[in-house]
Amino acid sequence: MTLGEAEMSLRPDVAVPDPESLLEQPGSVWRIALRRFFQRKVGIAGLILVCFMILVAIFAPLIAPYDPYQNFIGQEGAERWAPPCINAFGCEGPQHIFGLDGNVRDFFSRVVYAARVSLPLGFTTVLITIVIGTVIGAIAGYAGGWSDNVLMRIMDVVLGFPSLILAIAIVFVLGPGLRNTLLAIAIVTIPQYARVMRASVLSVKEVDYVWASRALGASPWKVLVTRVVPNALTPLVVLGTLGIATVILEAAALGFLGLGAVPPTPEWGSMLAAERDRIFTAPHLMIFPGLAIMITVLGFNLMGDGLRDALDPTLNK
Amino acid sequence: MKRMRWLALVAVIALVAAACAGTEGGDTTTTAGEEATTMAPEETTTSVATTEAPSELLVLDSGGCDYGGKIASIEATSPTEVVFTLCSTDPAFLAKLAFIPFAVQPSEHLEATGGSPLENPVGTGPFMLPEGGWARGTEIVYEANPDYWGEAPAFNTLVFRWREDSTARITELTSGNADYITNLAASDYATIEGDANLQLLVDENPNVFYLGFNNRFEPFNNEQVRQAVAMGIDRQRIIDTFYPEGSAVADFFTPCIIENACEGEPWYEFDPEGARALLAEAGYPDGFDTTIKLRDVFRVYLPEPTVVAEDIRAQLAENLGINATIEVMESGAFLEENATGEQQGLHLLGWGADYPHVTNFLDFHFGGVNVQFGDPFEDIVETLAEGSQTVDPAAAQPIYEEANNLIRQHVPMVPIAWGAAADAALGTVENALTPPVGAPQFATMNPGDDDLVFVQNAEPISLFCADETDGESLSACEQVLEGLYGYDLEGQPVPKLANECTPDEAGLVWTCSLREGVTFHDGSTFDANDVVASWSVGLDAANPLHVGNTGVFEYFAYLWGSLINAPAS
Repeated sequence: MTLGEAEMSLRPDVAVPDPESLLEQPGSVWRIALRRFFQRKVGIAGLILVCFMILVAIFAPLIAPYDPYQNFIGQEGAERWAPPCINAFGCEGPQHIFGLDGNVRDFFSRVVYAARVSLPLGFTTVLITIVIGTVIGAIAGYAGGWSDNVLMRIMDVVLGFPSLILAIAIVFVLGPGLRNTLLAIAIVTIPQYARVMRASVLSVKEVDYVWASRALGASPWKVLVTRVVPNALTPLVVLGTLGIATVILEAAALGFLGLGAVPPTPEWGSMLAAERDRIFTAPHLMIFPGLAIMITVLGFNLMGDGLRDALDPTLNK
Repeated sequence: MKRMRWLALVAVIALVAAACAGTEGGDTTTTAGEEATTMAPEETTTSVATTEAPSELLVLDSGGCDYGGKIASIEATSPTEVVFTLCSTDPAFLAKLAFIPFAVQPSEHLEATGGSPLENPVGTGPFMLPEGGWARGTEIVYEANPDYWGEAPAFNTLVFRWREDSTARITELTSGNADYITNLAASDYATIEGDANLQLLVDENPNVFYLGFNNRFEPFNNEQVRQAVAMGIDRQRIIDTFYPEGSAVADFFTPCIIENACEGEPWYEFDPEGARALLAEAGYPDGFDTTIKLRDVFRVYLPEPTVVAEDIRAQLAENLGINATIEVMESGAFLEENATGEQQGLHLLGWGADYPHVTNFLDFHFGGVNVQFGDPFEDIVETLAEGSQTVDPAAAQPIYEEANNLIRQHVPMVPIAWGAAADAALGTVENALTPPVGAPQFATMNPGDDDLVFVQNAEPISLFCADETDGESLSACEQVLEGLYGYDLEGQPVPKLANECTPDEAGLVWTCSLREGVTFHDGSTFDANDVVASWSVGLDAANPLHVGNTGVFEYFAYLWGSLINAPAS
């Protein structure tokens, strides 16, 4: 009998846990979180919206009736900024359920294909941001001292600029385009992730199992990678989920300012910008990309809220 | 002893500092002094400015033509005659003379205002500005000139207001607060046409939109490739789809409302099969990759830059297999790259007339100086040089026919559209018309009551248009001021304060006989000295009254080659 077993057996009201289940403890945290997530309708609603948009992006060629670049100039009934025409609702002209844009292209096809731009942009940017933010935050939080000071002051400098203005400046220097948009947004959002990661690492590194690893002679690098980072990542997962929505909005804002996707690439923000002068004469050209942005952002926000609730130990009840 | 050492040290430092300062100051003084006292007189030989001749008639003498400008002298030879002596023949002399920055004001008024009559212009025009007529930020109220030498306006009060937004201007019109508005957005044409109480006034503004190449870079150094692109773009489709009413396919580079513009063979017909064959012959049977560069800036010649670029991209892909990437550039960077001849691929640009003459279109772009299309085409340059020495339009006609044919052959660019702009007026305004050149001529209109309210984009910067370039200021000036010539309702230069200006045989000396019995709004009599004084204030940088608003006098420098006594840049 080990010392631990002896101590526990002295208290009859406490059941002795099965050693096998103890080994499964880390996995069970996520399983519990998952169970909690699915118990909250808000999170499920977000998940459904996000899954819906992901499916739209994946199956865009099947969903969109036309090539997003095909124009219908010269075809009968095809006019610039034509309103939606749905045959089932009595419209007798060629069917374009979201209407036609200024280049006489099917707007529904373009909105659908734009999901293939905005969603990967959001995911990729957040992934890059999480990776870099994690590294910076983990080193700063765990090492402390001058490296903490230097890294965090750099982050403070970046945080000191309004994010959109800084992103505009970066895109202005690098030139418009999706890759540069991605880079710009990633650069301006890294400090948020680095700060959250640092705070998380500062609390995790003081817990007993980290001290135990150290006491057992594990190297600082091993302690950081195997003990601290995995347990400090939870807030970043929540922040990242919410961050995807922010990235999509910022990409749309840059696109609206003419600094995002290069035409004729369909992207929701650029589509809004291209037709902003038609807000009174052809409002459908503003409504549909706006709705697509809203649904996607709402989905990620609700899902992020659900994840936060699920991963927050203070909300066990 | 210690104190002495310190004093010695301080003295040494002071001496060294003084020596350094002396060297720096000496350098500056030498350079500046050389430029100011020796270089300027020697290089420009323009020591003589406005001087009073024994007969008290003024003369502006540049002292020669080495200063780089086009005007050698302007001389009042009698109270009713002014003689312009040019450094080289300028067939566009009258077209430039009619531009409002070259309007005439009384010499006494220019002196009294220190060469800066920014808010109190005194002219001879059909309207005059009473004291306090310009309420900054609100409106300008003009009164009809009862002593106008021409036909007096049919109403007494002309009001200028401004609204930046096209929709706001339309609201002013539909609500009855305005009689006439300018610069309609293309999307608002339907609103005006759909209202029986309004009239749409299409303006055949002379301009051209083109797709440019640079022959310094592959594959556009190949003439067959350029010809293939010229044949492979359906320009009619672009006009029909993206341009407002009144616009037309550009069959020539210069719009046809300008004399001698449309001589020669019209542009290539749309022929995709022929274009593909030509491209294959040039060695590009499957097309190639390139870029379409543009700036996203609204102009009458290109109202929707990105949308049109997308259609050109689609047409290039569809008709020629050319895969073009659109690159929207910042306006300044785009123009700089364009002007230095470094722009690769295709570019979308256009041109609006400074003055209605064929030289303003052809000579500027293909005359050998502009490198936006790469290396100049020598045969075009030579032909245009011959045209620029031919004052008689009839004699110039075969020259411009040849020039247009050479442009068609070499295809430095593809002319696509002559864009139209439009104004709108209440249906009750009689004779409402937007001329192709210059501002609306309100004196020829009749609003049906005693006042006419005009709403434009912005407030004028000043009403001293010798030193302004913005259209809003020029429009406001045109109601008050007049030059020796002006533009008629068809955009042609016609005499105003001159009876006529006639050239000598070589086209170097223009003698202008002046209209007699004309009085300025302040009651003074118009004479030849006022002409010389007004030109001297604008053209001679050494004139003490060369003050203006910014002091740049851009149109004097640009249209007449250079300012006399221009400061070294």
